[in-house]
Amino acid sequence: MSDNAADSINLTIDGVALSVPKGTLLVEAAKRVRQEIPVYCYHPKLGPAGLCRVCLVEIEGMPKLQIACNTPVAEGMVVRTSSQRAADGRATILELLLVNHPLDCPICDKGGECDLQDYAMAYARGTSDVADPKTSKPKGVNLGPTIVLDEERCVVCQRCVRFDDIIAGERQLVVKDRGVRDMIATATGDPYRHNFTGNVTEICPVGALTSKTYRFKSRPWDLRRVETSCTQCAVGCRQFVDTRFGTALRTMSVESDDAVSDGWLCDRGRYNIGFYASPNRLTQPLYRDGGGFVQIGWDDAFAIWAKAIKEAVSTRGPASAGVIGGGRLTNEEAYLLQYVFRKAGVRNLDWRAGRQRQAAPGKHGAASYGALDGAQAIVVAGESAAQRAPVMDLRVRKAVLRNGATLIRIAPIERRPVVPCVDVAGAAEAVAAIPQGAARVAVVWDGVDLGLAADLVRALEGRDATFWIASEQGNARGAEAMGMLPGFAPGYAALAGAECGFGTDEMLAAARNGELASLSIFGANPALHHAGGRAVREALQRVTFLAVSDLFLTDTAKLATLVLPATAAFEKTGTTIDIAGDVLPVEQSLDAPDGALSDLEMLVGLGQQLDFDLPTAEELAALVIASAASVPAHLVPGDPRFASSVTALEPVRREGAWRVFPESHIFAGDGTVANDDRLSGLRPLPQVAMSPQSAARLGASSGDYVDLDGGDATLHDLLVEVRPGIADDVVVVTGGLSDDAANVLPAGAYAKAINLRAGADRAAAVAGSGA
Amino acid sequence: MPVTKILTAGIGEVDERGIDAYRANGGYEQWKRAVTQMTPAELLEISEKSGLRGRGGAGFPTGKKWSFLPNNDSPRYLVCNCDEAEPGTFKDHMLLENKPHLILEGMLLGAYGIKSNHAFIYIRGEFKAGYEIFTQALAQARAAGMVGKNIFGTGYDLEVTVQRGAGAYICGEETGLLNSLEGKRGEPRLKPPFPAIAGLYGMPTVVNNVETLAYLVPVLQKGWEWFAAVGTERSKGYKIVSVSGHVQKPGNYEIPLGTTVREIIEIAGGLRPGRTFAAVQPGGGSSACIFDEHLDWPYDYESMSKAGSMLGSGAFVVFDDTTDFVKAAYNLIRFFAHESCGQCTPCREGGHWLEKVLHRFVQGRGLPGDMEMLLRVSSSITGLNLCALGDSIEPFLKSVLVRFPDRFEARVQGRQVAGVR
Repeated sequence: MSDNAADSINLTIDGVALSVPKGTLLVEAAKRVRQEIPVYCYHPKLGPAGLCRVCLVEIEGMPKLQIACNTPVAEGMVVRTSSQRAADGRATILELLLVNHPLDCPICDKGGECDLQDYAMAYARGTSDVADPKTSKPKGVNLGPTIVLDEERCVVCQRCVRFDDIIAGERQLVVKDRGVRDMIATATGDPYRHNFTGNVTEICPVGALTSKTYRFKSRPWDLRRVETSCTQCAVGCRQFVDTRFGTALRTMSVESDDAVSDGWLCDRGRYNIGFYASPNRLTQPLYRDGGGFVQIGWDDAFAIWAKAIKEAVSTRGPASAGVIGGGRLTNEEAYLLQYVFRKAGVRNLDWRAGRQRQAAPGKHGAASYGALDGAQAIVVAGESAAQRAPVMDLRVRKAVLRNGATLIRIAPIERRPVVPCVDVAGAAEAVAAIPQGAARVAVVWDGVDLGLAADLVRALEGRDATFWIASEQGNARGAEAMGMLPGFAPGYAALAGAECGFGTDEMLAAARNGELASLSIFGANPALHHAGGRAVREALQRVTFLAVSDLFLTDTAKLATLVLPATAAFEKTGTTIDIAGDVLPVEQSLDAPDGALSDLEMLVGLGQQLDFDLPTAEELAALVIASAASVPAHLVPGDPRFASSVTALEPVRREGAWRVFPESHIFAGDGTVANDDRLSGLRPLPQVAMSPQSAARLGASSGDYVDLDGGDATLHDLLVEVRPGIADDVVVVTGGLSDDAANVLPAGAYAKAINLRAGADRAAAVAGSGA
Repeated sequence: MPVTKILTAGIGEVDERGIDAYRANGGYEQWKRAVTQMTPAELLEISEKSGLRGRGGAGFPTGKKWSFLPNNDSPRYLVCNCDEAEPGTFKDHMLLENKPHLILEGMLLGAYGIKSNHAFIYIRGEFKAGYEIFTQALAQARAAGMVGKNIFGTGYDLEVTVQRGAGAYICGEETGLLNSLEGKRGEPRLKPPFPAIAGLYGMPTVVNNVETLAYLVPVLQKGWEWFAAVGTERSKGYKIVSVSGHVQKPGNYEIPLGTTVREIIEIAGGLRPGRTFAAVQPGGGSSACIFDEHLDWPYDYESMSKAGSMLGSGAFVVFDDTTDFVKAAYNLIRFFAHESCGQCTPCREGGHWLEKVLHRFVQGRGLPGDMEMLLRVSSSITGLNLCALGDSIEPFLKSVLVRFPDRFEARVQGRQVAGVR
């Protein structure tokens, strides 16, 4: 027995002797002897609740049957899970659960993977004494934008309510009314809406909570299942992709994935899969012909593209050619990207297309996500993980709610989180706010403000501090490690002199001056996400030859000379690197649409067109592993080598104006979300958030509308949100929306409010009071 | 007749709602004596030796309950359970409206006994008058220095908070009460942990019934020996019995434990003329009926348990031969089904199912096999529940169904027998 004898307990379950650690619950201990004890309310991540009473077992010496979910093991305990008494008790519970259950299995989405169905078949009597009509309850209740509730099927295990409380900390769901009339609902009556709602459909043991995107779509036995890593953000949650007839119908979390996702998925990762089948997908290369595009074949595309790169490098010099991207590609693609372009003489390479400057924390990285749960103080520097890396934010909540960590935010612009936090002005104040005795500190940084990170590194000198960079793109860290940076070769090998070209900012500045002859962009949308606003679009328009590889005709692709239809994560195989630095596998679950190529295939095609020797698949895999494995110990968060040397894209100062900063939103972006029509109800509204004092000065209230005049550009029709806690000289606008003008202002632009209009409610109230 | 007036002394004769009247009869003297002259340990010892058991229903020894609290400096709370809602019980209601200071003094003693600096009283929502009376009494006691900081100059602080319920039976269950007191949904908690370890706001907590705490005052005044001298071997002292049903003078009667069932009926004026005895439900809605053969049994915890029932809260409901036991069973099961919080399966589904079946019986639409089913289901849900509510469904139903099967048989469809109710 490997367990320490002093801390282990010996007991017998169904005649099998076993030894388990002290404190183990019977329901868990039974799993060790492969004895299934049925449960509804118990869940390993939620703990015991003792509500459903189906896990009854007989324990020698105890007069009553006991619930295995809340009974810890005891020395010498003799447990019978299948004795007649235990079986009778269990059968009673199942009989009772079916008294009012509608038995609408033939039309229930859970059919075939339903715990009520399975346990009723396995443990119930098979006959019913019920002669009275069943209680009728609401069906098809629209609980929120993602979920439909069938109250008749509910067994009131309260897993959903407890998930919302214990795991998400949102506490929106409650049980209303009581007894047989009880009902799952939101406490306020508002729609059930946050970033993790979909998880309740998975932990619901019956068909009460179902996803709108999957209702009436399939039976579980008709699905083909592939396990992969989610690439929607940098967390890299394990997930199952369930497909039928070549269409991805749903994704599910992997309960055993304690290392990364902790068994949960965010709603973006779970639901944003409709874009794969979008009719807007690009399926043929497009070449600019005058004002519009013409469809061309891949052979022509490769020839045109290779010629443009070669000509730029040979006639106008390496400084006139560049490549941006990699943060949405696999490691293999990112490696090949820098390989082919460097081989073509291109020295201007950068994965960075948005505001983030650094993706790997270097020697301040942590070994695993588990370290974040154990942090005693968490400092949020810049944007939190809430919208950028939602499932990592669940770990922040876990650390605060369950492990008592202190959450400290530096100069926040976001809404207050659902967990308690302390707001401070800067790095020094943040470190001063760390409680005495909090030895383990975690810094959640957005990778944007290098100076702030460097200040924190200095202020935390000598402490056990880890940095967690919640990247804007799913594989930013992989792209960085694969050498998609101006000063670094794969594996962060430092480059010098002529080898060391421009970064994105310098490329865009050069483009603005008409000095960029060829630019290739892969899976990135700087026109929408880069901090430079309208200046970025102008710069891209002045590139002589702009090639863009993407799934959709994004704001950036619209400016291209050559548009290359790409494939997305479910359609390819490879690896990525997550926030904690682990290499994760990406497995193919869908066939690519005809006419689209993966970025890897495109780069192979381009390399062949350029007559390059390319690494074989095996060689590439080895190169990727070697590059990913070299820990960049010489890097620190806020490393000056990631800084930009240009100021050309920075906003012009205006007196008496607010500074405007965009904020991330889990459902923003003009690619995969905008082209997933099932998610239209989840898209953010263009809005502007301001402090109560700013609102008072302006005379605005939440719900009003205003325009923001940023000098050379104006943002129209922004919904006002009064947001306590943010600075009085700052306003925050929804970022990443393509069809409004929110992204024409550079980050940090100076703007004034004009055209204040009362919102509908307020206007009605004003009209009413006047009459 | 062994009627005694201790807690009930003066009710209907003297108005003790004001603090002056209460003090004129020796009120708050025990409180002063305890705080100024006794240690909490001494108070605990007296409580243990008196043999006082919980008067709310479970009959758990009071001193023992206190002794379960961890012996450390963590904050701890005393909660007075005044959510009296057990069908047939109306003693706390009477004490609340007539003896608010006695309850308060008992609470103060209890809090001191467990070294608590904060006591709570949770008053049933329907007791609006009682709530106002108690609140006023508390204000008077506070003004008189009985409650608050540095009581009697001893440095001991004790705060008292009054909270009204909102009319849910389940909030009388001690952990349901604690949840409600914390502002949460009134659902009983999963045990362990028990309130003595993690109760109100997660701190060690004792929940005692109104009557239990009130008895601390005379026990201290007259000595534990006085209390322990009365009653039977393991059921010591006095009890207020709420007698209702088919008696001539229903009401609250305070008696020594061990008084016989027959004597209690006689104390309440006996049956109405021309009626014959059918059954007594001796311990509230949750208890089984006892019958003729138990009439001369002593009314104490052990005997009632031996008779297949329980003493419970002391609600004593008498049924004569005119009783429609089918309707009575339906009425009670409907109550339990209505009051089930719904969080655990047997109580939520079982109670409601039985209610539906009994409703058919009331309408004369019972089905063959239903009687066996009623017995089977009510028996099988017993012992499987998270709290005691679900286990309260079976006793009355089973006792009358087994005793008077003909009354139920007569309501099975097609078998109505003329003249049998």
